[in-house]
Amino acid sequence: MFEKIFQWLDERLGLEAIYGAVLDRKVPKVNWWFTLGSASLFLFVMQGITGIFLTMYYVPSPDKAYDSIQYIMNGVAFGWLIRGIHHWGASLMVLIVFLHMLRTFFYGAYKYPREITWLTGSLLLLLTLGMGFTGYLLPWNQRAYWATTVGTEIAGTVPGIGDFILRALRGGSDLSAVTLARFFSAHIWLLPLGIVLLISVHMYLIIRLGISNVPGEDE
Amino acid sequence: MNEELKKKYHAKYTAAKQKGVKFWPDIIYKDLLVSFALFILLIGLAAFVGVAAEPKADPNDTAYIPRPEWYFLFLFEALKFVPGAIEWVGTALIPGIAVLALIALPFLDKNPSRYWKNRKIAISVMSVIVLGIVGLTIRAVITTPEQEETTLAGSIAEQVVQGQDLYSIYCAECHQPEGEGGEVVGVEGLEGTFIKPISSQDEMWTRTDQTLFNIIDMGQQDLGMPPYGLGYGGELQRAEIESIVTFMRYTWDERAEIPEDAIVGIPALVEGEVPSYEVHISAVAKRYCVSCHREGKENNEYLMGSYDEILNTGINAGKNVIAGDPDASYLMQTLHRQTVIGSDSNEIGAMPPSKDLKTEYIDMFARWIEAGMPETAAEAAALSTVAAPAEETAEP
Repeated sequence: MFEKIFQWLDERLGLEAIYGAVLDRKVPKVNWWFTLGSASLFLFVMQGITGIFLTMYYVPSPDKAYDSIQYIMNGVAFGWLIRGIHHWGASLMVLIVFLHMLRTFFYGAYKYPREITWLTGSLLLLLTLGMGFTGYLLPWNQRAYWATTVGTEIAGTVPGIGDFILRALRGGSDLSAVTLARFFSAHIWLLPLGIVLLISVHMYLIIRLGISNVPGEDE
Repeated sequence: MNEELKKKYHAKYTAAKQKGVKFWPDIIYKDLLVSFALFILLIGLAAFVGVAAEPKADPNDTAYIPRPEWYFLFLFEALKFVPGAIEWVGTALIPGIAVLALIALPFLDKNPSRYWKNRKIAISVMSVIVLGIVGLTIRAVITTPEQEETTLAGSIAEQVVQGQDLYSIYCAECHQPEGEGGEVVGVEGLEGTFIKPISSQDEMWTRTDQTLFNIIDMGQQDLGMPPYGLGYGGELQRAEIESIVTFMRYTWDERAEIPEDAIVGIPALVEGEVPSYEVHISAVAKRYCVSCHREGKENNEYLMGSYDEILNTGINAGKNVIAGDPDASYLMQTLHRQTVIGSDSNEIGAMPPSKDLKTEYIDMFARWIEAGMPETAAEAAALSTVAAPAEETAEP
């Protein structure tokens, strides 16, 4: 019965071919440091899932943002857990992605033929930091407000275009409802979209080129 | 990398693959194990450490020390080493070059070797950078001063309690403890002004929380009400003003039902029971006295914010409360609205200035002084001739 269903699907979707190309392939024997990439992906998925749940209650306006998070923490069933995971997941993701970058560096895995994998990966690290920066403002508490004030000020010191960057980030000269709205939009649309696209390329390259091996003394 | 090296690499990699394992299940199994461990770690952090509560953003509170997320701390710290005049070097130039170098690394590092012993320069540079980042982060954590503790009122009940305390300190001296208003007595600059009640249903039904907030925040100068918000020259943070509004709404508005755990009553005394500072006197003083008897007010330097202050402050220190002799204590004489001449030969007015304290509270002070001003509930219980009411004896 299941075999029939599988065959029907396989004929149309090419499941066997996907299995052969993606899962059933030989790769070099590697150590535990090589799990950091998949751990980064896992954390990104976790952030995505918990983030989607959070947007159901979060209101991105200066009047309501703080209270909506109070409500998530106290009023919503398991809201504290979802927010707790999202909060800690953000820190952990930065840490794991950074360690993943270090592993790649120390094993020389960014060299031929994996230059583009590194390029997408380094952009992913930057986008992850961008997620951290934009997400930090959303609770609209003292910590968030003042960190973002200083953070955007720092961006404003770039010679020549600093003022433009500052205004573009804040949506005006001061931190306001507009700033919160654009940070929120960047946090849930723009940056995740970029991350998903880059992860797709990154993963395609990993499957195409295979994971790197632990270099031997003569390499 | 020339064609020969590329070929050599491919040969090596193919050999490594042949000696290798299957992606599924060998690699996937390890990946799942690590991801699962991280999942458990996250749930543990969320459940047992949680997310620290922070007060709501307050653009006027410029005393707040900004702290970025921990992974940006090293950048923050590094900026301290850059002179202000060339700040842009630290904020834009160096980070910009670092980011570009990171992205373009495979094109900058032309060394074909992968084994660490053959890449000493690259490994050293990266190690120094990583150590620098870790070192700066640690330095930032150590040198950033602790944020001053702010009392956070999360739930409605906590806000009502905090609001009541703030109301007693900042508002009660003119608006009276129950918001009943009346003639202002003993307040510099407003002496004799007549204030309408702010706790009436007319007021409560027609003033929204936002209106009440604005009145406290900005004041109503034409009517004599000064601004209390930090942004307008006052000393209250937004969260504190919100607590006062919540207190007013839940205490006075008949449409709002006050949460049970928010009711801070002053426990009544039974016959023969001796009150203590801890349970009774502090509560009465906070509600009716502290708004004037605190630093910066005209009060003959007599402060009533703590046990020690009630006993030992003021120009008449020693005579305000005399253990065992309520009738000779200035505190009792002023409560009974008798004329008292202080040590500076000036008359001390009746207290509270505008109207009598409730008889039961005057009696509470009298019994307390009579018994020698016990501080803790235990001391008071030892002096009592009867046991305190049941719910209080429950506490050791």
